[in-house]
Amino acid sequence: MSVFLECKKMKRTGFLPAFIGGGILAAAVPVINMAVRSEMYQTKQGNPIQILLSANWQMMAMLNVLLVVTGACLLYHIEYADNAMQKMKSLPVRESSVFTGKVILTIFMSFLVLAIEAGAIAFCSYHWFEIGNGFFSGLCKNFGYAFLLMLPCVILSILISEACRNMWISLGIGVVCVFTATMLPTNNFALSLFPFATPFQMLAGTDMAQAVRYIYAAAVEFFAFGLAELLFIKVRRSFE
Amino acid sequence: MNFLSLVGMEFKKIKRSKIFFILLAATVILWMPSILNAHINFEMQAEGISPENNFFIQGFMGMAWFMFPASMVVGTVLISQTERTNKGILKMLALPISTAKLCLAKFAVLLGLAATQIFMMTGMYYISAVVCSKTQAYSFILPPLFVGKEIFLLFLAAIPMIAFFWMLSVCIPTPVFSIGVGLASIVPSVLVINTKIWFAYPMSYPFFVITSEYGKLAANLNTAQVELIPWIPVAVVITILCLAVSCIRFGQAERRS
Repeated sequence: MSVFLECKKMKRTGFLPAFIGGGILAAAVPVINMAVRSEMYQTKQGNPIQILLSANWQMMAMLNVLLVVTGACLLYHIEYADNAMQKMKSLPVRESSVFTGKVILTIFMSFLVLAIEAGAIAFCSYHWFEIGNGFFSGLCKNFGYAFLLMLPCVILSILISEACRNMWISLGIGVVCVFTATMLPTNNFALSLFPFATPFQMLAGTDMAQAVRYIYAAAVEFFAFGLAELLFIKVRRSFE
Repeated sequence: MNFLSLVGMEFKKIKRSKIFFILLAATVILWMPSILNAHINFEMQAEGISPENNFFIQGFMGMAWFMFPASMVVGTVLISQTERTNKGILKMLALPISTAKLCLAKFAVLLGLAATQIFMMTGMYYISAVVCSKTQAYSFILPPLFVGKEIFLLFLAAIPMIAFFWMLSVCIPTPVFSIGVGLASIVPSVLVINTKIWFAYPMSYPFFVITSEYGKLAANLNTAQVELIPWIPVAVVITILCLAVSCIRFGQAERRS
């Protein structure tokens, strides 16, 4: 119910075109990269997905994370801008269900974005490499992994934007966090669990045990932030 | 009302915006790894750059590539959104002040924010240089005149970029698009500085200037150098164009509704 409500609210805010546009922009990265310097990559040996992702994933992930941060800021900005939040609170709707609705909506949108990007990777592999056996299952695994590791980033950025009434503060915190994530060393397991740093990880080139550990960690972070949100609402209400 | 008092008034509006904390947090986070990994600066013989120069330039490169442009996008959001809550902007537009002047005053505030962040960055640089000099037993402190010249260049190079961001936030009333376009335009600047047409892309100017300074300081590194002739005229044209468009468009969406 609350998800549909959130979808309706999104109608004229430019949320949907922004995500689709962002997805297309990120999907254009590997295509342009291959179009400009395909000979650099075609000579490499190995799996096309791995070659393409290791060449482009950093930039694509950066665009994805920035998109999620911007989208999350917008989602709560429309509530706080004209005190719509007060009206929402007076409805027989729980405050946490508004949050859940927004999280589900953003998760769905990031799924869409990743699907567009997967399409671009499939196109690049088809056009410049050869699609071998098990290509599509490999593609699904890679992007499924990317999707799971995106979840902590989604929930935390929505939590930040719920906590800050002003859009520039939540955006500022988000931008600082993204910047911190780009500075963290990716080979350090504990540091790369920072929620804004996990989307930069990729399955290709990671060994299975490590990947499973990342998935567990992402799940733990996701539920931890969900609990933190419930607590946060309770605490904030007692101070209002 | 003269221009200076307008700018002063605009600064008063952002007094309680907490933007300075965000700018400061960004610079603190930026220098942390540099302090922790200070020993890396001694391993740059291949590039032929002295440790103290490397320490300085690496920090500023980190800032110029993403943090500084992104903070400016946040600044545009701050300036445009503070007045949209409770329709403050309508009251401003009702005053007998030329809207172009008002628009330029807000742009001046944005430049003020940029200068503040660069100064914070320099302050943090000196603090971390002192700390590293203590921990590494090697003087990392550079003469203020040299540092002053570099940060002045960085600031000058950032003006066209800031004008572009300002135009985005004035012309696109939907915040998600102005932010999205702004942030997304920063990401490819790393690629653009390696092409021949870098001077046509204002978002890459600060990073380009710092990288070319890096090339000057490192004896064995050949980074592209600033060529003043296509760059300065193009940058001036971009700045004037962006400011003109934003002055014309400023307040139009509000007046119509």
